[in-house]
Amino acid sequence: MPDFKLEVTKTLDYKRPELAKGYNDQTLFVNISNADMAVKPVDQKTKETFVGGKGYDLWLLWDAVQGDTRWDDPQNAICIACGPLGGTPIYPGSGKSIVTTVSPLTAAPIDSNVGGYFGPYLKFSGFDALRIQGKASGDTVIFIDGINQQVQILDAAGLPENAYELSALLTDHFADGKPRSISVVSAGPGAQNTLIGCLNFTWYDAKRKRARYKQAGRGGIGTVFTDKGLKALVVRWDTVTADTNNPADKTRLKEVAKLHSREIVALDPKQNEMARIGTTHLVTIMNDHDLLPTHNFRYGSHAEAPNLGQEVYRRLFDPGFDGCWMGCTVACSHGVKDFVPLTGPYRGKKVFVDGPEYETVAGCGSNLGIFDPHTVVELNFYCDAYGLDTISVGTAVAFAMECYELGLIDQTHTGGMDLSFGNRASALELVHQMARGEGFGQIIGQGVRRMKQKFASEFGADPAIMADIGMEAKGLEFSEYMTKESLAQQGGYGLALKGPQHDEAWLIFLDMVHNFMPTFEDKAEALHWFPMFRTWFSLCGLCKLPWNDIVPEDNKDTAEPAKVIKHLQWYADYFSSVTGRASSPDDLVAMSEVVYNFQRIFNLKMGFGTRAHDKLPYRAVGPVTELEYESRAERYDTQLREKFKVDIEGKDTAEKMAILRRLREEQYEKLQDAVYERRGWTPDGIPTVATVKRLGIDFEDVLEILRENGVTA
Amino acid sequence: MIKVADQAIDWHEGMTISDLLAAINDPHPYAVVRINQTYVSRPHFDKTTIPDDAEVYLIPMVAGG
Repeated sequence: MPDFKLEVTKTLDYKRPELAKGYNDQTLFVNISNADMAVKPVDQKTKETFVGGKGYDLWLLWDAVQGDTRWDDPQNAICIACGPLGGTPIYPGSGKSIVTTVSPLTAAPIDSNVGGYFGPYLKFSGFDALRIQGKASGDTVIFIDGINQQVQILDAAGLPENAYELSALLTDHFADGKPRSISVVSAGPGAQNTLIGCLNFTWYDAKRKRARYKQAGRGGIGTVFTDKGLKALVVRWDTVTADTNNPADKTRLKEVAKLHSREIVALDPKQNEMARIGTTHLVTIMNDHDLLPTHNFRYGSHAEAPNLGQEVYRRLFDPGFDGCWMGCTVACSHGVKDFVPLTGPYRGKKVFVDGPEYETVAGCGSNLGIFDPHTVVELNFYCDAYGLDTISVGTAVAFAMECYELGLIDQTHTGGMDLSFGNRASALELVHQMARGEGFGQIIGQGVRRMKQKFASEFGADPAIMADIGMEAKGLEFSEYMTKESLAQQGGYGLALKGPQHDEAWLIFLDMVHNFMPTFEDKAEALHWFPMFRTWFSLCGLCKLPWNDIVPEDNKDTAEPAKVIKHLQWYADYFSSVTGRASSPDDLVAMSEVVYNFQRIFNLKMGFGTRAHDKLPYRAVGPVTELEYESRAERYDTQLREKFKVDIEGKDTAEKMAILRRLREEQYEKLQDAVYERRGWTPDGIPTVATVKRLGIDFEDVLEILRENGVTA
Repeated sequence: MIKVADQAIDWHEGMTISDLLAAINDPHPYAVVRINQTYVSRPHFDKTTIPDDAEVYLIPMVAGG
């Protein structure tokens, strides 16, 4: 046990309101520059417009920052909210926290939806959202004690650097004998020394008697957290029951919760077995469909990919209940017990590793040309402990490896390190360097966009090839799916508000495998509907997995199987029964549309949010190198001949690639036109005045931003 | 005999997943089928044989990610 000190510097006593229909109608504001704290009410108009969760976060963040606020300005805020349904322990997937801030990678709002107990406990403690601004002069802990109705700001000294030990120590320190009553949010040294930091949100595993965590990974939120001098947030709450949210119609809530919960228990074992193997089933499935990124997204499959698949993790995962929120029957948060790292500060010591999930397996495995599951588990462990986003780490290291293999950089730049694909020792060393803020790892930790600039300006690397192979858009690294053969998923990534993350629209299977959306209009409709509906989960404090990863047996026979209509109705019933706001499935989409468009305009406020910012690197659209083209020559040749009616007779690979590139890029432009029109946006990708009026977000400052961007109708 | 969605189905030596889907006359475009604990994707349906006494699950996969 390290010798540490926690000293209270400021205490706010507050009165916890009676939760009513999932809401407290108040939020907590903390400015750690001057230890200022305040509790402020949420008015009815804000509640109706922004619903909760991500909606509340964005509203609070909008109010905190100006258009020129940088990620490391004290004005930048970290906002955390649950949502009106969050914390329900009887409905699967109901324990999410949503976090937003101005991202160091994108300079625009980023949002992340994460498990763990923090969001629900924050709400049960009396706050629908938390906004933290300012910068502390030293290490700071904020403790929200919902039982004693106090918020404390504490000066900290001597606490562990990494999240693995810090989470355990603070859980023990604040638990008063009840560790399940505590949730801790923390980052780590990797977050401090890079721009790709994540936050770890804990939940207490009563069976294994340890604090475990899930990650708010994307966009460098952990980096903002450490830049503020925050060491941790801790919340304490007591017992949780179906009554804690004080739902409007408890009987109906219990009925619908039982239906969904029991269906998952019955069908998950027959479908993806997420309660046993998490999302690792996706690895071989993606590989079989040429969708698993390997070697920096060059290819979608590899002969060794099964080494990273569910058959291996079925053996590695420690069996048991692994729900990141109480009562969740999906329970997919698996972990590896008694893992012994071969490198770093835990070399030779047994640790518990939370994960890996599919994204980590693909990002830190196949995309680096690494097909050894133990290396993936070790990378997973250290990324979490250091507070690093495994997706950005994977995609950024993959880019550096390809630059190395192409001769764009060499060992004079990497500090003597061999960065060939598949070099496990180098991948691990880079992560340790990120945590220490030194060496080539520190450069990779700035993200792909900054690497491209540095390699070009300082190392003389060709900017054109790096623009094609650097897998970032809007400054955010791609998550781990191949999109070359799915135009809809290119839109799913390129048109995503925060950057290429799959949680807005994951359309690859619907588009490429099932061919459910053959026309531009079909794709545009999907790129309207899916992001809108998926946004709703983050408004309410929910996980989306129960919606469409485990589906009713008769779903395939419904008119729109992709929407899982039966579950849509259950979610509408769930929302109505908790909030008392009578809602249909269409109403849920309408709620999301408000917040979605508001976020697009928020991007505009920060200097982005137009068509120019929805561009993709060509690697996401088609083959960049002759090797890529020739590896799938039959596919590309056939497409040129049959779909585009091009006479390819006598043309060499370079000529065919150039034609294919022009045609595919034209298609993406057409897709943008169709989606913008469907969403009620201008051809430049900006919501029209008519759209914001229809959605009720025609606030004066919104209209002013539209006017500044030439949108007046 | 094999079990498919809790129903017993006649099995024959060399039976592939494609054979099974044709036999049960299910037109849904399944992308993934599970044989016991092994996931098999559509590109391998023609060449993947099902062992006798297997439990087969037709995965109605519409999502992921």
